[in-house]
Amino acid sequence: MKFLERRLVHAILLLIGASALCFLFSTLAPGGYFDEMKLNPQISPGTVAALRSQYELDRPLPVRYEHWVQSVLRGEWGYSFAYNLPVRSLVVVRARNTLLLTSLAMALAWLIAVPLGVWSASRAGRWEDRLSTAGTSLLLSVPELVVALGLLYFAIHTHALPVGGMVSADHDTLGPWGRARDLAAHLVIPVTTLVLASLPILIRHVRASVVEVLQAPFIQAARGHGVGRTSIRFRYALPAAANPLISLFGLSVAGLLSGSLLVEVIVGWPGLGPLLLEACLSRDFYVVVGVVMMSTLFMILGSLLADVMLVIADPRVRMDNV
Amino acid sequence: MTSRHKAMVAASLLLALHLAILFAGFMAPSDPTSQNRDFPLVPPTSLHFVDGRGKFHIRPFVYETEPVPEGLHEYRENHAHEYPLHFFVSGFPYKVAGLITWHRHLFGVQAPAQIFLAGSDSYGRDQFSRILYGGQISLAAGMLAAGISLLLALLVGCASGFYAGWIDESAMRLAELFLVLPWLYLLLAIRAFLPLHLSPSGTFFLLVAVIGTIGWARPARLIRGVVLSAKSRKYVTASRCFGASDTYILRRHVLPHTYGILLTQAALLVPQYVIAEVTLSFLGLGLGEPMPSWGNLLANLQQYNVLVSYWWMFAPALALVLVSLGYLAVADAFHQQLQSGSM
Amino acid sequence: MGSEAAAKRALGPALMKAHRLNKRYIQRTPFSRKKFVIDALVDVEIDIAPGCISALVGESSSGKSTLASCLAMSEKADSGEIWFEGQEITGWNDRQFAPLRPRIQLVFQDSAGALNPRFSAAQVIEEPLEVQNRESGAKLRRRACEVMEEVGLSADWADRSPLEFSGGQRQRLAIGRAITLKPALLILDESLSGLDLSTQAQILNLLLDLKSTHALTYLLISHDLSLVGQIADFVGVMHHGRLVEFGPMQQVLGSPQHDETRKLLASAGGVESAYRAAQAGGRA
Repeated sequence: MKFLERRLVHAILLLIGASALCFLFSTLAPGGYFDEMKLNPQISPGTVAALRSQYELDRPLPVRYEHWVQSVLRGEWGYSFAYNLPVRSLVVVRARNTLLLTSLAMALAWLIAVPLGVWSASRAGRWEDRLSTAGTSLLLSVPELVVALGLLYFAIHTHALPVGGMVSADHDTLGPWGRARDLAAHLVIPVTTLVLASLPILIRHVRASVVEVLQAPFIQAARGHGVGRTSIRFRYALPAAANPLISLFGLSVAGLLSGSLLVEVIVGWPGLGPLLLEACLSRDFYVVVGVVMMSTLFMILGSLLADVMLVIADPRVRMDNV
Repeated sequence: MTSRHKAMVAASLLLALHLAILFAGFMAPSDPTSQNRDFPLVPPTSLHFVDGRGKFHIRPFVYETEPVPEGLHEYRENHAHEYPLHFFVSGFPYKVAGLITWHRHLFGVQAPAQIFLAGSDSYGRDQFSRILYGGQISLAAGMLAAGISLLLALLVGCASGFYAGWIDESAMRLAELFLVLPWLYLLLAIRAFLPLHLSPSGTFFLLVAVIGTIGWARPARLIRGVVLSAKSRKYVTASRCFGASDTYILRRHVLPHTYGILLTQAALLVPQYVIAEVTLSFLGLGLGEPMPSWGNLLANLQQYNVLVSYWWMFAPALALVLVSLGYLAVADAFHQQLQSGSM
Repeated sequence: MGSEAAAKRALGPALMKAHRLNKRYIQRTPFSRKKFVIDALVDVEIDIAPGCISALVGESSSGKSTLASCLAMSEKADSGEIWFEGQEITGWNDRQFAPLRPRIQLVFQDSAGALNPRFSAAQVIEEPLEVQNRESGAKLRRRACEVMEEVGLSADWADRSPLEFSGGQRQRLAIGRAITLKPALLILDESLSGLDLSTQAQILNLLLDLKSTHALTYLLISHDLSLVGQIADFVGVMHHGRLVEFGPMQQVLGSPQHDETRKLLASAGGVESAYRAAQAGGRA
């Protein structure tokens, strides 16, 4: 329990650190946040001044930060000037969509990567292994951007899948089964892109971990006792190789989130990605901070999940710390 | 093919690609910025070897492209005249290394025929030339940013490992922060706080600086590890007995251990950073018109009609994939060398 | 006892003195209340007579290496005083100690780890001179070659990596590196362990030659009493961080006062053979 408590404190510190970093970066803007607006003849200086005071840019940094923290504790997370809404209402909706996408992609990627990696490891050095390694290297070199665009292209030309968006225009008129099918159809392209993007690294790591474990004496002993091949792989080798993989799980959340940002923008999935991009282009400061916080929260949850899994999976961790 | 051979092949291909891009002026048949409003979205020009009469030509030739009168962006070949492909032709002037002006190009065809090896975009500009020039920008951005990251990593890693104490603690906490945040979110957030509309060179250097600051953490940790282990060697203790200063020990005993890591990380970071620049420009937060970058070339594909009908606009993606493949193969080779201890 | 003190006084004031040295290592395992306390040095008193060979023997982790590090000023003792050539140097920082540094040099056991494998043999020897800015360029190289010849290595091997040398040759190189700065005291920490007997004998002869040529004082640290008995004038025995016995070789070997000494003598092949080895060494 002490272990998890510490992770929680760690998590809170991380959130504070990330938010502080954002505010700090905003002060780096050479020449102020609204300088470009000042150059625009259609915007009067009065408006710019009003915006400045609304943003509290005339106040010092610690004051702004304090007000923002208070806003967070109130449940607003600051205010969006483009939407005229508290940031929280915007971010939470989008976050739900991103969570749907990323958790699905994560689950699928691991479900495919683990068996493939284990199989590759068991055939280490032979042509099947070399082929799969070449395949993963090739996949690794194709940037997500290209995969997403390519999948869209095929979707358009085969007319098999809807192109873009989360739901069709007539979504609300469909029955529950129809709605689920509609959502699933829209999920295919983004999820496939994310899975294809994550697979190479996951497979490589699973394979490396399992290859190392397969050399261990206890595996040889099990084989000597006549334990079957599948049993050896999944009930003996995999649990022993689990530790580094669980840590990888925690870390891979970051990569997946970055990937999902791009995919959401390209495919038009209404998640955190397009929100962030829009906020960047329209200089909606508190939305940017809110989205960064949300993504940090996802990261933290991912690694906390990994830590919990570690505590469950590895008895050694339990003994040292509880 | 041994892994060593594979690495050599990859490295030479990569080098060839870089050289082609470096000498974009020479390799490109057309000026990347000259518009040709009469020929928007032309598909790639076909190279023919056999003419209408069935005769085989060793030197490939092209037909003149003309728009179909009633069609929208439809073209056909005018078989009236053959225009052979010439090499070392005289064409639009360009600067070599920014100093010498030259006008010879590797290949080209006589007017009025045009050669669009990768088709043309909506302004009629030759995509092939734009890909070459765009490569200059994207690759340069990636390499410079990687240089910045590695320099930062070296400074922080050495200070952290060598001096330990609070410097180490705070540096590693900061590194953890940078590692934990998703890179694209971080990149966008940083970019968001900085001016959106700068001059092209201003935007370029801004991009390089921003991209360079997101990836220093991992190499810094690796370097710190190496410095820590080097610091504990007996020959460093012996050096102190001779009265060696910290700078001397860093320079002569510690730094040489970091070269291997720096090289491997460079091979890993450059393609990641090129992709970062491409992503930013694609999203509209990087380089914009009229400067070509692989990112803003690919941004055309965000328009539905382009994505559907004009497949040759995918061409910059091919270049990007080739670069990634090359660097990854080289990085793997470096990594293996490092493991076997010959670095 | 009285004659021993008198003999010591006849040699002149001690080159190096340590008075009530203490050093304790505390290791904390992260995230727990447990800590391991190691008393490496407990109230150690030692006098090193100039121009003589003093030795320290004891089991592993008896504190010998810690004492060597503290005397060489590469580690700081927790309490106590250290005197060198009549000056108190306790607690001096690097800058204060810098002018005296060349006077005390260390030679380690693990020669492969003590020499930077990326350096050539000549560079290894040049390093102390380079660091102290004593010579440069061609003169530096010449001096390195001279030193190599002096320690019994061929100057033709100047450009080879230390890894190409045998264990004994590497130790010669390490010794050569240590004497380039013309030290007064050379501390050899287990420098002969891990070498075969004939190589050990050769290195011991080299050490004796160098001692007379350069008027060196040695502090020899080893777990091997019979090795040390061949050349040492004075010997001290360390046990669990304490210096339990210290005196002239014949006296300690002839009439050991402490159980630990007796134990070491026994494992060295018996009191008789060690004593005879000492006699055969012909030290007086």
